[in-house]
Amino acid sequence: MTKHIETNDTWQIGGKTLSSRLLIGSALYPSPANMEDAIRISGAQIVTVSLRRQAAGEGNGNPFWDIIKSLGIEVLPNTAGSHSAKEAITTAQMAREVFGTNWVKLEVIGDQYNLQPDPFETVKAAEVLVKEGFEVFPYTTDDLVVAKRLADVGCKIIMPWGSMIGSGKGLMNPDNLTAIRKQFPDLKLVVDAGIGKPSHAAQAMELGYDGVLLNSAIALAQDPVKMADAFRLAVEAGRLGYEAGVMKEREFASPSTPTVGTPFWHQFN
Amino acid sequence: MIKVSVNGEVKELEENLNVDQMIEALEYKVKGFAVAVNTTFVPIAKYDKTIIKEGDTIDILAPVQGG
Repeated sequence: MTKHIETNDTWQIGGKTLSSRLLIGSALYPSPANMEDAIRISGAQIVTVSLRRQAAGEGNGNPFWDIIKSLGIEVLPNTAGSHSAKEAITTAQMAREVFGTNWVKLEVIGDQYNLQPDPFETVKAAEVLVKEGFEVFPYTTDDLVVAKRLADVGCKIIMPWGSMIGSGKGLMNPDNLTAIRKQFPDLKLVVDAGIGKPSHAAQAMELGYDGVLLNSAIALAQDPVKMADAFRLAVEAGRLGYEAGVMKEREFASPSTPTVGTPFWHQFN
Repeated sequence: MIKVSVNGEVKELEENLNVDQMIEALEYKVKGFAVAVNTTFVPIAKYDKTIIKEGDTIDILAPVQGG
């Protein structure tokens, strides 16, 4: 039996060498055990986490954080819920102390209806955080100029959305994503948000993106663990497809079966 | 006594407490949180020098699930 081509390529992001190009969220799972199983089977080596107000008292420690630590993978704290550069910067600083990482998924929301990132506040926050030594993973729209501004202030990673957070609509504008990829061949690009199906993740990878970040598509599936495995395969398939080089589209039909030797054709017909 | 807002709730504290003493007074026993006063991060190294004042807004944040 022919051996499969192994997708054992590694890549670098934020100073780490990783083999998985799937970044996974830790929210919305039916149970903590389900979250743990899904993350493990996904093969993801980066998991996003967040910070929220903690009640006083004795408590039982933090079971969620204990599970995440036991996974032994990189944590990427987000600044979800921030509506200004100031809030995002403070959240990032707090996250660095709590999680012990200089990585931050910078998320500054500009509109409550579609949770669209605020490009102005995101760039402002990114500039400060880069200067403070953070590895900034900015969540942004698929706007090329915003991506350029983020690169200008020192971001080495850009995370354009596929579509609205949690919408599952997939890649709204693949042309915009392609433009960003072409403009920034040396930046690490991750499609973040809006992915609903494994095929969406494969599509993002086929565009040459370095990775995909998703949460709801796995956590809200009927069977999150099975879906996590599906996304693992889709990301690998999409990456292999990109590396293999996708054929050029053609305007007209072109038969794949050879025309020479076509049966039942005779000259006197 | 002074009134402050802790995670959105009004609390009464003794005057001139630093952040270490405030945490003790509020009975936060579980470690692994970070503190901001008036939306400015206060690193652990500055807990003893940061004095809580009347009307301060304090946020105490801990790890949760995130996307």
